[in-house]
Amino acid sequence: MNSSKLQAKDFITIGIFTALLIVVEFLCGMLGYIHPYIVASYVILIPIVGSIPMMLFYTKVEKFGMISIMSVLLAIIMFVLGMGYLGAPLIIAAGVAADLIARSGKYKSFKKTILSHGVFCLWICANYFPVIVTADSYREDLIKEGYSTEYCDNLFRAINSKTISVLLILCFVFGCIGAVIGKKVVKKHFEKAGIV
Amino acid sequence: MRITLDPRTKLFMVLIVSMVVLMPATTPLLWGIRICMTMIPILLLLSEKRYASAIRFLIFYGVALILTFFFLSKESQGILSAILIGYCGIVVQFMPGIITAWYCVRTTKIGEFMSAMQKMHIPDGIAISLAVVMRFFPTIKEEYGSIRDAMKMRGIMFGGGNALRMVEFRMIPLLFSCVNIGDELSAAAITRGLGGKVRRTSVVELKLHAQDVILMMLFTAALLVFVFFKYFR
Repeated sequence: MNSSKLQAKDFITIGIFTALLIVVEFLCGMLGYIHPYIVASYVILIPIVGSIPMMLFYTKVEKFGMISIMSVLLAIIMFVLGMGYLGAPLIIAAGVAADLIARSGKYKSFKKTILSHGVFCLWICANYFPVIVTADSYREDLIKEGYSTEYCDNLFRAINSKTISVLLILCFVFGCIGAVIGKKVVKKHFEKAGIV
Repeated sequence: MRITLDPRTKLFMVLIVSMVVLMPATTPLLWGIRICMTMIPILLLLSEKRYASAIRFLIFYGVALILTFFFLSKESQGILSAILIGYCGIVVQFMPGIITAWYCVRTTKIGEFMSAMQKMHIPDGIAISLAVVMRFFPTIKEEYGSIRDAMKMRGIMFGGGNALRMVEFRMIPLLFSCVNIGDELSAAAITRGLGGKVRRTSVVELKLHAQDVILMMLFTAALLVFVFFKYFR
């Protein structure tokens, strides 16, 4: 068997960790309905909480394509959950870029893993895209759908074309910080137990 | 009466519903279309004898709709109404997609799903991963339930202690069991010949029946009407 090709076992690993990441995303997403500022703080919450499964996933990645496929799955699931198709190309682009970075470190270099996780976390920002690109009509629609004007005003104060660059940078930075924390947790629990 | 649908029809329904959910409903007619589209998967769930989940979805969705239409307006303020608006927003916005996806996941056997994917010429990698994701959500829920029970017995509960430890105590055991289940799954997959070089055959013979065609046409028509009245009127 060709060992550089992905096998059924790898696909199953991808599936499991994608499911875990979606659960993390969904739980954090629930909080966002309390206040719109929390929606903006996804860029901090999700990279840090999600980093634990992701770092465990990175220890299992050895071949090119695993992170890319994960981003494709994320794009599909985000679409089904109603986040829109505008973000999908971005999610996949972030995934492929993260995959390439990790590959340049042969999936072993810790520095490259940190960078790669930072880039991968940019997929979270892709979910803000409908808010920014179609800001005016989106706002009107939200109000007509029964959100309060207060919520909308706050939402658009937190997320607009000016703050998106800040959010992207924050997302990347916290992705990197999350990677360090996640790595520590993985070391503390999994490497000592001999699972990795 | 039991209505069995082709997995491809179910996937098509999921696709259409998530497209409709994306476009905010603004007039009563659009709301009507959306609600009808949500009712179809609920009826299908009933026909599959999954009464509990069908009724649960119906109540959730109904309550949220009633609250949004009759009690909440853009003038409402205060924390309680903010939370209520949040709850109703999430339910009304995402429930149709979630119900349809749930119907698709709970009533499709993995074998059928794989065979449908193969017929649609989806690459094996994405098909297998997607099948695992589908199968895995109930597993995560189950595992999480038992971990929560175990933590309760040890006296570790939400509310006490710091948040970081609470996340750690739940997430780490969950990851442990998920990794183990993953190993078991891969062993099972190899026995079933997944990832082999030969084209797999399937026991289930997939065919589009009359009900599949009717539903597909119904959903396409609903989408067209929705788009027409939203953007061209």
